[in-house]
Amino acid sequence: MAPYSLRVLAASAKFNLIMTWRFFNWSGFALRFWGPMLTLGAAWILYTQVYRGVTSPEFGTAAGTTGYLSFVVIGNAFYVFVFAAAFVVGRVMFWERATGTIEATFMTPMSRLAYMAGVMTAAGINSLVDLSAMFLLGVLFGFQATSFNAALFFAGLLLTAFALFGVGLMTNAVTLTFRDRVNTANSLMILFLVFSGIVCPVELMPAWAQMISKALPLTYGIRIIRASMFGIRVQDAFNDLAILLVLGIIFVGVGALTLRLIERNLKKKALFSVF
Amino acid sequence: MALPLGNGLYLYFLYLPFAARSVNLEFNAAWYTLDLVGFTLIGQLLYTFFTMMLLSGNAFVVEREQGTLEAVLLSPANRIALILGGALAGAFNYMWFFFGIMFSWVAFLGVQMVINDFLALAASIVLSYLSMVTLGMCFEALFVYSRRGHMYTTVLQEPIMFFSGLAFPLQAMPRALLSISYLIPLTFGLLSLRLTLLGGASLIDVGVPLTVLASMTLLFLALSTWLIGYAERKAKAKATLTQF
Repeated sequence: MAPYSLRVLAASAKFNLIMTWRFFNWSGFALRFWGPMLTLGAAWILYTQVYRGVTSPEFGTAAGTTGYLSFVVIGNAFYVFVFAAAFVVGRVMFWERATGTIEATFMTPMSRLAYMAGVMTAAGINSLVDLSAMFLLGVLFGFQATSFNAALFFAGLLLTAFALFGVGLMTNAVTLTFRDRVNTANSLMILFLVFSGIVCPVELMPAWAQMISKALPLTYGIRIIRASMFGIRVQDAFNDLAILLVLGIIFVGVGALTLRLIERNLKKKALFSVF
Repeated sequence: MALPLGNGLYLYFLYLPFAARSVNLEFNAAWYTLDLVGFTLIGQLLYTFFTMMLLSGNAFVVEREQGTLEAVLLSPANRIALILGGALAGAFNYMWFFFGIMFSWVAFLGVQMVINDFLALAASIVLSYLSMVTLGMCFEALFVYSRRGHMYTTVLQEPIMFFSGLAFPLQAMPRALLSISYLIPLTFGLLSLRLTLLGGASLIDVGVPLTVLASMTLLFLALSTWLIGYAERKAKAKATLTQF
């Protein structure tokens, strides 16, 4: 069973990689940077023009660094990674339905999880391009990494991608049930954008916002990446890795279960492609 | 509701590393101290309406997909009246949302409003609305003329967000970029609304942005009339109204 699922995963990843690079969508690629560029531009103006390079002492304590612009660049680069990865996985079933292949896909005896994991693998690889491009752009805004802990960096990326895979599975279950693509994805992305500590340390947010941020994998992912590039709070980063792993297991478990239940329900009611 | 609230909070969080509780906005050599939450959230509320108007040309996409676009354009109905009717309906629907959200922010988030001149506030809202509705009408021509209207208007959203001074006070914008800001009605809408709603500005204080907004409304109305006529003539001549 396992080798068979691995073959499904590899085939699905290969297909998605070919589809991305054979018909590379330049406008879509550029558009993904629009939002983060706006944030970086606004952060640069606030930091250099409005507050003349002075952040509050609380920021230094909470972030562990005084490099505000580097702090924001990492947050945005990681958000671009998540945006590129989660959007692709979250919309798989929507596009299967839109292109008329959903019934055929669900008729095959393959493991749904392996199929989706293949999509996630391809999306994760593609997202690394976005992540690198964002760091390069960040240099223009004064990004400076004081160290680089490669093991921590890639462990953070991998575990965030794993947790996002679970979120993607749940999103697909919602998409299959409600026929919605835009609202679900947009609401999720806003949740990640606002509460994950992209532009300010979570510790500075109001208490209610901190509670929300604790449930989001991106919060821990960003902290790990910052720890790996600033050489700060490395010990805390290991705790974050553990939390991320637990969150990932929960999300993937719930996502897989939801997807299976929804598939059964849709088959019973013959609602796969009927609109 | 999630979009303006979420993006507004995001902009608010952008200020937290600076321990800011208010924003100093300079206009006409006068300084106004505005509530930070109000500054970011109200900006986002107006921006959401602006994007709604930018994307209002989607009505043509729906007509095209339903196969009714040719029938609509065959009728002798005034095109501008048709579009204006749709846009005003959207604006009216947004009005209750706008006020409802504002009151909830005052009640639950403690946004401090300083209103000294209700006429100035009303004029700011109405003229901001009208300028954006008419600009939206100009963009509707794109949706008739091209199949990529949605992409063009989506591409414009973030630059407009940046140049309009949505995220930061306009006086901080580098001088070389200010000329772009002054081409966008949202810039003046944000300025007059923030000043009258949060800074207690009077009609005289916001006379300049209100005059600009009124002028833009007239200009965009004339421009949209020409653009829509042009797009329709071209599409009919090339028989591309419904052909994909």
